[in-house]
Amino acid sequence: MNRRELLQRVAWLMGGTVATPAVLAVLNGCSRTPGTGAPLVLDEAQRALIAEVAEIIIPRTDTPGAQDVGVPRFIAAMLQDAFSSEEQQSFISGLQDFEMAAQRAHGKLFLQLSQSQRVAFARKLHDDIVAEAKARLKLQRGWRKLEGQSAVPVGELRAVKKRLRAMLGSQAQRPARPFILTMKELTLLGYFTSEVGATQILQYLPVPGRQQGCIPLREAGNGKTWALETSYRF
Amino acid sequence: MAQDTFYDAIVVGTGITGGWAAKELTEKGLKTLVLDRGRDVKHGDYPTATKDLWELPYGGRATDEDLQRQAVTARSGHLTQASKHWFVDDTEHPYTEIQRFDWIRGYHVGGRSIMWGRHCYRWSDIDFGANAQDGIGVDWPVRYAEIAPWYDYVESFIGVSGRAEGLPQLPDGKFLPPMELNCVETHLQQTMADKFQRKLTIGRVAHLTAPLAHSPQRGTCQYRNLCIRGCPYGAYFSSNSSTLPAAEATGNMTLRPNSIVYELIYDDKQRRATGVRVIDTKTNEHLEFNAKVIFLCASTFASTHIMLNSVSPRFPNGFGNDSGELGCNIMDNHLHVGATAVEEGFQDRYYFGNRPNDAYVPRYRNLGGEKRDYVRGFGYQGNASRLGWPRLLLDSPFGAAVKTEAAKPGPWYVKLDGFGEILPNHANRVTLDQTRKDKWGLPLLAFDAQLRENELKMRKDMADDAAEMLEAAGFSDVRTFDREIGVGLGIHEMGTARMGKDPKTSVLNKWNQVHACPNVYVTDGSFMASSACQNPSLTYMAFTARAVDHAVAALKKMSVE
Repeated sequence: MNRRELLQRVAWLMGGTVATPAVLAVLNGCSRTPGTGAPLVLDEAQRALIAEVAEIIIPRTDTPGAQDVGVPRFIAAMLQDAFSSEEQQSFISGLQDFEMAAQRAHGKLFLQLSQSQRVAFARKLHDDIVAEAKARLKLQRGWRKLEGQSAVPVGELRAVKKRLRAMLGSQAQRPARPFILTMKELTLLGYFTSEVGATQILQYLPVPGRQQGCIPLREAGNGKTWALETSYRF
Repeated sequence: MAQDTFYDAIVVGTGITGGWAAKELTEKGLKTLVLDRGRDVKHGDYPTATKDLWELPYGGRATDEDLQRQAVTARSGHLTQASKHWFVDDTEHPYTEIQRFDWIRGYHVGGRSIMWGRHCYRWSDIDFGANAQDGIGVDWPVRYAEIAPWYDYVESFIGVSGRAEGLPQLPDGKFLPPMELNCVETHLQQTMADKFQRKLTIGRVAHLTAPLAHSPQRGTCQYRNLCIRGCPYGAYFSSNSSTLPAAEATGNMTLRPNSIVYELIYDDKQRRATGVRVIDTKTNEHLEFNAKVIFLCASTFASTHIMLNSVSPRFPNGFGNDSGELGCNIMDNHLHVGATAVEEGFQDRYYFGNRPNDAYVPRYRNLGGEKRDYVRGFGYQGNASRLGWPRLLLDSPFGAAVKTEAAKPGPWYVKLDGFGEILPNHANRVTLDQTRKDKWGLPLLAFDAQLRENELKMRKDMADDAAEMLEAAGFSDVRTFDREIGVGLGIHEMGTARMGKDPKTSVLNKWNQVHACPNVYVTDGSFMASSACQNPSLTYMAFTARAVDHAVAALKKMSVE
């Protein structure tokens, strides 16, 4: 792990919310600085890598996978139109970091690895991130408990947090989330808002026609999660 | 097209109150011109209403360009591919923020009655009497007994689903059958009653849970919860589905969209307003329309804008502004403060249908002799629901497990979000910014308002109480939240032309008439003398219907004399 990666990890670990800088700026009431307007052009290798990682995140089983439902195309559209230019840049540099990490680990490009090596490599990155996220959550919960008790010497923790913040610069410069996590977000969003994801994996009822507040799970349609439009922003 | 320029009445705006004024005036036989600055929207003309989830581009999310063009709307969290066409392009409709101010607007026929939250709560005398009791602002010139019949009247017409609770601080109304709480909400309701003697009830919302004989064009709620797109069934109340069709049916309404009213015309000799000046946004023509009576229902700040911009020798500081209170006392409901929790139990229970409604916790603070370190109070809107696939992002499923885990409804997520009263304060104000003009050459509005000590103290209770109640219910991972907001984010703006008994300290009288010009009525949120913590639209509607009744009686009296 190089220094930049380390800083990203730490920043992300200490970051609190996981909204991207542009979203944070909007939520905080700032106007956005319009982007450079330069279109994002993915080269063929990048497109292939994105498609492969999406399929690893949601593979074809007895039901269709990410590629079957057009997730790579969805991700390209999101990058092109929904991301700000700084989010695009951060995504591309994350993708490059991902390639460099594959090089360091295996001496090969990601797409030159065997299928099982690719899956193991992507899964390891993902699992490390999730472990960090869970550790962070634990830290936050602990923090909230500590804050409720005035006798606890939290000064030292605060000082550490402050030092880290100073090291990492302002909130606006905080690095974006790791590539694998952005890929997971986009893959899940694209997949579960697709017709296949909504109707075959989840259950989708466009016009329920009635409302029941509290029923046994098995009586709620087929008992699967209801597919809903979500405004959820990670 | 030749168009009459003289009418019995003019209504400015077609949102919640403009629609009501149009219906009432036309049903009482007045030839009425109804003006809206935006495009026409007929009932059913809702382009995204029946789109399936996968027909929305970008998974429904706003694009970068959307976020740049509609940056103010984005602050509300309501900007999606399904809803964005109902909100203004903020780059085309700028305003000045001396302090951050969140002005969320929709410029089209029907206004924000298409995107509103639909919650309908009566005020009580605790609210109408609050200013007098606390010595804050000006006393309301009315009390509940005078407004109650008008609440009955508008509820019966729009259809409000809810449950009678017999609470003095939240009077019951004429309710259609209530929607159902889910299992976790019912559990919270029980612990709140047992441990805190506080009520949780199903939200009272303007949704038809049973048909309304007088509005056959409106169907019953289908529980899609896609209301913000516009309802093809007409199941929730909007001007487009309800009041405007009623006005249209009389044959007395002339609806003129694309018409920006920028000035009231005042006749010094008659001491009356004789009409309005309008810019036709299609032709850029400046036009005049005349009427015996004018209803300003353009929304709080839009009506105030027109009044501030209507300067004459009689009204050098804005129309009817003898008191100097026009544009002052901006209020809203402050929100985005409360608590969330997770409930791991009730795994074998779920719900059917997407309820377009929340649970509601009526105000309980500073009642019955309690005295906190702030005055007034707050309520909560909240709900419990089982988490879907977004919960998997920061969780271990990866690969095929994503599908199997996403198919299982997740743990219950519970949220209580406060809605607090904001006190009237002269210093919270909007003025004309003469240094900046919009594309029609009209000065922009400049907002200078903030939450003050009373609201900030209240917010502490709003977060702590919510956490305490969720803890008491036995939920896990209880977290408080207190988001930074601008005034206006509650989208309950009010107060800038308040009513009162004394023309020296208020702009309107108890009938919503401008003190100094009785043939101008202002019935949108600008008339409010205090904000309470209940969603205000129902109160606007009741006062509007009452004001029309008064205006028509006054006109009759005039023609007799």
